[in-house]
Amino acid sequence: MTEEEKIKETQGEALKSIEEVCSDTWEAIYRFIYSKVQNRQEAEEITQETYVKALAYLQKNNIKIDKYTAYLKTISLNILRDKWRKNKRQGKVINIEAINPMEAAIDDVSEASAQRELVQNALDCLNEEQRLIVELRIIKGYSSIETARIMNKKEGTIRVIQYRALQRLSEILKNNELP
Amino acid sequence: MSNNEKNLSKYIDSLNEEKKPKEHVRKVESSELEELMDTVRLVKSLREPAMPASDYPDKIVRTVTNELSQKTEAKKISRGWFLGLSTTAAVIIMVIAISLTSSFGRNNIIYAMEQAFLDVKAYHGILEIKGMNAAGKDTIQAKLEVWADKDGRYYLKRIEGLQTGLTTVNNGQSKWQIRPDLKQVQIFPAFPDPYRFSFELGKEVKDVRNAIKTKQIGEEQVSGREAIVLEVLPQGGEAYKLWIDKETKLPLKKQSAMQNALQYTITYTDIDYIAAIPAELITYKLPAGFEEINTNTEQLVNNLQEAEEALGFEPKMPESIPTGYIRSSIAVELDTKLIKLYYTDKDKQSKVVILQGKAASSLKPASTAVLGRINSSIAEIQSPIEGNLGVLSGGGAYAGITNISSIRWQEDGFEYAVVGDVSIDVLNMFVEGIAGAKLQSSSEDDSLTAKPQITVPVDLAIEENEQKSVDAGHSPWKLDPVFVAQVFVSLQISPEGIVGDYPIKYEAMKVVQNNGKEAIVEVNDDKSPTSKVYLKKLIRQDSTGIWTVVGYDPIGK
Repeated sequence: MTEEEKIKETQGEALKSIEEVCSDTWEAIYRFIYSKVQNRQEAEEITQETYVKALAYLQKNNIKIDKYTAYLKTISLNILRDKWRKNKRQGKVINIEAINPMEAAIDDVSEASAQRELVQNALDCLNEEQRLIVELRIIKGYSSIETARIMNKKEGTIRVIQYRALQRLSEILKNNELP
Repeated sequence: MSNNEKNLSKYIDSLNEEKKPKEHVRKVESSELEELMDTVRLVKSLREPAMPASDYPDKIVRTVTNELSQKTEAKKISRGWFLGLSTTAAVIIMVIAISLTSSFGRNNIIYAMEQAFLDVKAYHGILEIKGMNAAGKDTIQAKLEVWADKDGRYYLKRIEGLQTGLTTVNNGQSKWQIRPDLKQVQIFPAFPDPYRFSFELGKEVKDVRNAIKTKQIGEEQVSGREAIVLEVLPQGGEAYKLWIDKETKLPLKKQSAMQNALQYTITYTDIDYIAAIPAELITYKLPAGFEEINTNTEQLVNNLQEAEEALGFEPKMPESIPTGYIRSSIAVELDTKLIKLYYTDKDKQSKVVILQGKAASSLKPASTAVLGRINSSIAEIQSPIEGNLGVLSGGGAYAGITNISSIRWQEDGFEYAVVGDVSIDVLNMFVEGIAGAKLQSSSEDDSLTAKPQITVPVDLAIEENEQKSVDAGHSPWKLDPVFVAQVFVSLQISPEGIVGDYPIKYEAMKVVQNNGKEAIVEVNDDKSPTSKVYLKKLIRQDSTGIWTVVGYDPIGK
């Protein structure tokens, strides 16, 4: 193999690597971030930033790893905490150097389904009107005007009930008041 | 308190619109509010996430390679996983630049337009449609007041030109048209909607993104605004020009290619980006003195049980649907005993309907349809839909709407159709969800295996002229292989010409194979000297291409 052929082959491998890593992992990373931020715009931004930061770090230190998804999730969480640090009281920033890329793993599948279960149970503890408004506004995504029309109430009333419902939900979840 | 209630409601709105709420950037003053926002996100996590556009993974790769190439420029890495990455990045950039066949400017403006459109919630404008003939004479065809939003809802009112006052509204649930000339309000199903207006911004942005080639060709002023002029070569069509506002990065004007000696220019002479269409415009109200004509026979139901009770059979649900689609509603047609499952994609730009009803008789495909197979049954594929047969005939004129395609088949005594303003490939994913197997389209075969016993010579120059004449709206029957075969066989019987009825009836002809380019029509009539007619689309192989007889099999030979 000539030197030129070797370079071409290496270039091909590296090209495949970035594309492969992204295409194999982006959906899991995006879904993970989305589960935290709950909006597409921010999930897209943080996913992109995660890849830039993670791959730059791996490249700089010449590290090859197997568990990309787990590592990328840790990095994304770090970025998110960093961004929200100023206005959040919770969540601590982990230094990127402190994450061991070979070991990082967040098993969020069972955690996510347990969380769903909890939220669903908490919703069932609300009264019918509160539950319906929370479902229409947040799960179905209707505007407050649309919700008002469906419930045959004023928009202001919807806002009040929705606020109280979320206060109640927050208490249930915080105090683990589930039946 | 009231402020907190409002802020919480706005926060929910932001998440519902898939936008980053300002509270994720700025500090939230009230700790209670912060807690409630956390709760909102927890509740919203019960909903499926909104997924990015299909080109998003490519965008990540592009950004990562660009960023890395900047960081590693002139730095040679000799070993490891990222071996040769910096040079690779350069190669990738080159490949991207070459494959896009245009400058980076193109990417930037298209990217900027996509990003700008993400921020648009709704818009209100005045749309002017001008026609220009081959001699260069301009005429205003129509002036419309347009209100439209991201969810595909719109309100259109003609304010100048023919039919002034004609108002068309689609609020996503139903569609109606106010006809001042007839003092009538006609009500239609919200989907399919053949009257989508000609310059819907979302569609324009999507078309540019999917175009084969886009080139920036200059800069001009449109309605007093600075604009960039793009030349866009769409998939399967003539190149057109699009003017993009330099400030808002959104389309302002579009000019079609000269077709049939007529060129259209559509301009937003005035446009504002707004939060929502005023509710009163998209709320149905019968004006005083007007009569309501309801052509919408479908009835929405809340769940499958209700549908089952109304129809008397258990509807089949798809096992899987393509990523990014959600079911938006379920409707039934009581007179035709049909269930309609409506699906929409995450951007609410495309809709797919699965129709199911008891099979009344064996499947008779539309004469113009391409034929395929699903499991062992014959399937009718129409792109666009030209014939409304079987379940397609129930409740809604699907035929004649250029961007709607369908796949129809029968299975276990039921007839199904998957209909939508999407590609056949996407429809096929829904088919797989219902039938458990994908459609096998005969168009995947290169050519039909059967050959005619007698070949009919053709003159390509004549066929080209015929095609032009059909393009101009003459002899539309040449687009129907059954009709072309019927005329051919009838002329064999009466070579002097056909007077009165055709000697061979249209119903006696049956398409046995059609792959979209070639077709075989069987003739079942004792009077016919021919048993099979072989046809080809010689000039153009799409739904606008004419059929020509290229051969036949005589009876008993």
